[in-house]
Amino acid sequence: MEQAAAAPPPHILVVDDDREIRDLLAKFLERQRFRVTTARDAREARRVWPNGHFQLVVLDLMLPGEGGLDFARWLRTQSDVPIVMLTALGEETDRIIGLELGADDYLSKPFNPRELLARIRAVLRRAGEPSEKREEKPARGLHFAGWTLEPTRRRLLSPDGVEVPLTGGEYDLLVALVDRANKVLTRDMLLDLLRGRQAGPFDRAIDVAISRLRRKLEDDGRHAQLIKTVRGGGYVLAAEVTRV
Amino acid sequence: MTPTPGPTPAPAAAAPAPRPAWLRRLHLHLWPRSLAGRTAVLLVMALTVVQAAGLVIHALDRVDLQRLAQTHDIALRAITLYRAVALAPPAERALVARTFDVTSDSAAQLAPNPPIEDLMLTPLALQRQLRADMMLVPMPQTQRPRDQVFLGGPAYGRLAVGLQLPDGQWLNVTTAMPPPRPWNSATFLIAFLVMTAAAAALTVWAVRRLIRPVATLAAAADALGRDVNAPPLPETGPLEVATAAAAFNTMAARIRRFVDDRTFMLTAIGHDLRTPITRLKLRAEFMEDDEQRAKMLADLDELAAMVSATLAFGRDVAGDEPVRAVNLVALIRTLLDETVDARPEAEALVTYAGPEHLTVRARPVALKRALTNLVHNALNYGRCAHVMLAPPLGSVVTVLVDDEGPGIPPDQLDLVFQPFHRGEGSRNRETGGTGLGLPIARNILRAHGGDVTLANRPGGGARATVTLPLPA
Repeated sequence: MEQAAAAPPPHILVVDDDREIRDLLAKFLERQRFRVTTARDAREARRVWPNGHFQLVVLDLMLPGEGGLDFARWLRTQSDVPIVMLTALGEETDRIIGLELGADDYLSKPFNPRELLARIRAVLRRAGEPSEKREEKPARGLHFAGWTLEPTRRRLLSPDGVEVPLTGGEYDLLVALVDRANKVLTRDMLLDLLRGRQAGPFDRAIDVAISRLRRKLEDDGRHAQLIKTVRGGGYVLAAEVTRV
Repeated sequence: MTPTPGPTPAPAAAAPAPRPAWLRRLHLHLWPRSLAGRTAVLLVMALTVVQAAGLVIHALDRVDLQRLAQTHDIALRAITLYRAVALAPPAERALVARTFDVTSDSAAQLAPNPPIEDLMLTPLALQRQLRADMMLVPMPQTQRPRDQVFLGGPAYGRLAVGLQLPDGQWLNVTTAMPPPRPWNSATFLIAFLVMTAAAAALTVWAVRRLIRPVATLAAAADALGRDVNAPPLPETGPLEVATAAAAFNTMAARIRRFVDDRTFMLTAIGHDLRTPITRLKLRAEFMEDDEQRAKMLADLDELAAMVSATLAFGRDVAGDEPVRAVNLVALIRTLLDETVDARPEAEALVTYAGPEHLTVRARPVALKRALTNLVHNALNYGRCAHVMLAPPLGSVVTVLVDDEGPGIPPDQLDLVFQPFHRGEGSRNRETGGTGLGLPIARNILRAHGGDVTLANRPGGGARATVTLPLPA
């Protein structure tokens, strides 16, 4: 985080109703050189919002009074600030609504602090990219070569509408490839995009994940048509992507 | 005989007399096992008895009628012949009498004496009948028989009638009088059989109809055993059936409430545990000792996994996740890959064999959890997990999860599906687990209309057999 040291540290708003978690999270993130402000509920968050210049919001969806989803909705009317949601385990509906509202990522409680850190960094990196795609982010579906990727539900549908389950790593990899369709992504770029998600040797993990993805997309590894191997160490998704 | 000390009631009185062997065999072969069958057999038997009784009454009626007709016929034939003989000139009388002898079973002759046969006198009632019938044929009063003698009757098979002519001679007529044969009718047996068969068919149909609710009740009880949220029975039909259905529904509702209460408690505990676990995970990050921190985080991960399993078990497994078409092979590969990602050392121990594409209708997240639990169970207790997808048979697809462990004691094969049951009979931390993996798997699969069973393979190791219905 050398750049972070040079530039002013990103300011993060943590909204959670449990004081201990709030304080511990603030302390943990401050140690990672973030600037942190906490709020115990939506009302307090609204109060601190205007003057905070926040780069990211960590939002617990289970808030007393006005719920987290309502606050996220309000927040979206104010700004494009990235949101990482903390959801109750198994509250699929809340999570899907949150992602459709434009939240950038989610973790279910109890989460691992390091996982949260990785997600925060990944989201901040994506937000920092000079990309026009961020504005149209709440896409319900990305179509490519007959396949459909549904970001809000994190799932892949085959051309005949059958869900094809993916591992977390495979999904992230596919999103990265689809987001940059017809652009060559080197192994290093993919590693950088996926860091924090995967355990083990990353370098091999990319190749393994690509071969698994190809098998699930029924893309023959030796004559791959969809995810093509580029000589010199990279991959490209060769398909037109349409957003719905 | 039980060697019971002290005063005992007479054993013979207590024990029913043993039935002869042939009766038991008959009982075994003819006595149906189903209630419908038994009721039908009893009804048909009763019906047959009633039919037979009706037929006997009918036959007795026919006996009377036949006898009446027979008597009438004989009387008329005899008196007609008598009239012809009496009106004929005396020289021709013997000739006229012989013309009667046209049938083999009767004969007539003129004699100076009444008939001498080895027969008793005809019963008085029959005599009266014969005399009355003879009066029906008109003739001059002077020509009527001077005397009449009747011998024999149906009991002898023959009847001899002696009629004295005005000149003192006797005209003796002997005819066969067979005992009545009321059963001697072609339509009789056919009618009996047709009526019995029709009644039996109607009985079987009606009994089946009436008994059907019992089968429905049994099916509902079975469904309730698999899924407490099975739809209630319709409280319709005959009064008794509707009452039974209502009682059953009430019982199901009570069981459901009981299960719901326990589930709610479990879920509440699980929910409440998440906040302290999150806090502890954050606190662990501030520990200086790297080794202790790693261990503490591992403990907390285990705790979180247990809470997550408890919540998954507590939540209605059908949940709000919609059923949709899903590629089962991709789902299996995904969960195997995730398993290997989480424990790289298990890479060679986890295999898949089967087709590359198979679509089922399922709740993907729930189904993945169920199969994951089975794979983890195989890895934890059986050292490896070989997943095989058999080609679909009929409308069922079978997934096998084999391991190479010590197997499961036969008496535990079903117990391990009970919540918090531990295979080794101990809560050994070494093997980890929450005791909920297999119950969750079974709950989820049953909610999909499938099931999972465990068995020991002949070659060693255990095998989990998962069945899932295929989309029609």
